[in-house]
Amino acid sequence: MTAAAPLEVQSLTKHFPIGSAVRRAHVHAVDDVTFELRPGTITALVGESGSGKSTVARLLAHLDEPSSGAVLFEGSDVSHVRRRRDVLRYRSQVQIIFQDPFGSLNPVKTVRHHVERPLRIHRVVPSNQVEQRVHELLRTVGLVPPEDVAAKYPHELSGGQRQRVSIARALAVEPKVILADEPISMLDVSIRIGILNLMARLKEEHGIAFLYVTHDLASARYVADDILVMYAGQIVERGPIEDVLSEPLHPYTRLLLDAVPDPATKTDAQEIDLRKGDTSAAVDPSEGCRFRARCPLAIEICSQTTPQLVEARPRHAARCHVTAPAS
Amino acid sequence: MSQLDPTLDPALDLSLEAPRRIRRGFHVPGWLALLLSNTKSRLGLAMVGLVVVVAVIAPWISVADPNGFSLLAARQAPSWNHLFGTTDQGSDIFSQVVIGARRSLLLGFFAAALATSTAAVLGITAALLGGLVDDVVNVLINIFLVIPPIPLLVVMSGYVQDHGMTTMIVVLALVLWAFEARILRAQALSLKSRDFVDAARASGESTARIVFGELVPNMISRIAAAFVLVFYIALLVDAGLEFLGLADVSKTSWGVTLYWAQTNSTVLQGEWWPFFFPGAALAFTVLGLVLLLAGIDEFTNPRLRSEHKPHRSRLRMLFGGRLATREEGVS
Repeated sequence: MTAAAPLEVQSLTKHFPIGSAVRRAHVHAVDDVTFELRPGTITALVGESGSGKSTVARLLAHLDEPSSGAVLFEGSDVSHVRRRRDVLRYRSQVQIIFQDPFGSLNPVKTVRHHVERPLRIHRVVPSNQVEQRVHELLRTVGLVPPEDVAAKYPHELSGGQRQRVSIARALAVEPKVILADEPISMLDVSIRIGILNLMARLKEEHGIAFLYVTHDLASARYVADDILVMYAGQIVERGPIEDVLSEPLHPYTRLLLDAVPDPATKTDAQEIDLRKGDTSAAVDPSEGCRFRARCPLAIEICSQTTPQLVEARPRHAARCHVTAPAS
Repeated sequence: MSQLDPTLDPALDLSLEAPRRIRRGFHVPGWLALLLSNTKSRLGLAMVGLVVVVAVIAPWISVADPNGFSLLAARQAPSWNHLFGTTDQGSDIFSQVVIGARRSLLLGFFAAALATSTAAVLGITAALLGGLVDDVVNVLINIFLVIPPIPLLVVMSGYVQDHGMTTMIVVLALVLWAFEARILRAQALSLKSRDFVDAARASGESTARIVFGELVPNMISRIAAAFVLVFYIALLVDAGLEFLGLADVSKTSWGVTLYWAQTNSTVLQGEWWPFFFPGAALAFTVLGLVLLLAGIDEFTNPRLRSEHKPHRSRLRMLFGGRLATREEGVS
């Protein structure tokens, strides 16, 4: 659309072995996931618990190694690089923010330590300017006065403030891509908007490509430009967020939307057509649509052939035999 | 403070000024200020400190040669000439006790240092590397845990010809490391799965820096506790071996004095002092160390806290106590 995508994901797959050596099964946590992150764009990755969305973020952050597929960073595959220099080069461009603001900061280290380490590791600025840059970064994420905040320990900060420290740490290396793994799900509702606005501002001012992993459609709609919907390790629908949320193609996206309470209608008037969920849909899946057990629209072909992502509308694709049939 | 973290102690907020004031005034290092803020560890520190001071100045306060032989002075009860009395050989027991403190402290210190560092290195390495390394270390730990330590020590000191201090330190460390290794391995395992380790990796930290810069500082309190624990167990076990005559009984130490007291059946002859004074010195030192350990445990385990002084929580934080708090909260 605009500039070239710094991060491109091609057929990314991650299988985790479960069970004993005798009865070994594999969870297809991420299966054939393809997308790209563009500069100055927030791409939301939504799905329920266990859909594989956090695994995608971890794979992209080079914390886990994919079973197959490629992560292309500016054209070269980085998913299997091992050399410290290459890994560092990647980490200086792609950063991650974790879900748990209480676990992602070391309790015995000050805020200064957390923000300063990436500056020193990647030699972003000469060491006599590190202190000054730490203060700038803290100011950027709205932690003022930075001199006071820098000396504090994580337990002296609120959840929202800690998450801002995590963002400052991610920003320190001046990355092109930030992977935000449910950054607001563990925060008080009242401070969530602040973090979302901060992400939107960083996107505008620094042209950062965000992957915003969440299960919250409302916050995705508020902040994101594009959306990817994941179910049982697969992307089942993708497209510009307004198109997808106003006219969802995939029955799972519809289900997600129906699950959002609508204050305009009475509770008892809302009826969600929901069949019993089968959470093991990603464990050694057989051929066929993984959503079929819960799908109100399921037809015969759904249990025989795995649907492909089909662009039924411009830039708007879904993985469904019924609503987005392969022509 | 946020209500999101159920483990946050409301006292934390108020706590931040007290230790800083102490530091500013006397330049007391943080960890010492923390130890001094707890009644038990303060008392323990004072007791151990007293023994250390006595050991250091021993050559100047011992009035006689601890192994001096004088039949004229033999078997005397405590008096102003011989504060703790004399042995069958006429040696001054006060001199033996103060000189003996040196051996006990040195031996306990180095045995504890060796056992704790072995435990820390093996435990943390096993936890981080996992897989085969973890299995091998676990088997080692299990082997050393199921072997009863005292018989092993007796057999080992029986076979080893050289009864020097180095040998004893190695032998003691060998039987005492496994228990702490298991605890430190478990703590490292729980720490390494926390997000801040992944966050450090994502920042580009090297493995060595993650271990020594991020993990170990969170384990300091547990390592310190392990050190003190091994210290006093080593003291007791060493004295026990000497008492049984399984060490070099020509040296001066508390256990050796006890050994000769027992060999010469002094109590049967109504002489209580060759037993009492070295035994009391040993008990005093061990009690000091136990109190120190109890103090450290109190910072790290909030359930054991006897009083609620606000600055205690600062202490927990510096000693990695926040982790202990969180883990407690789950159970």
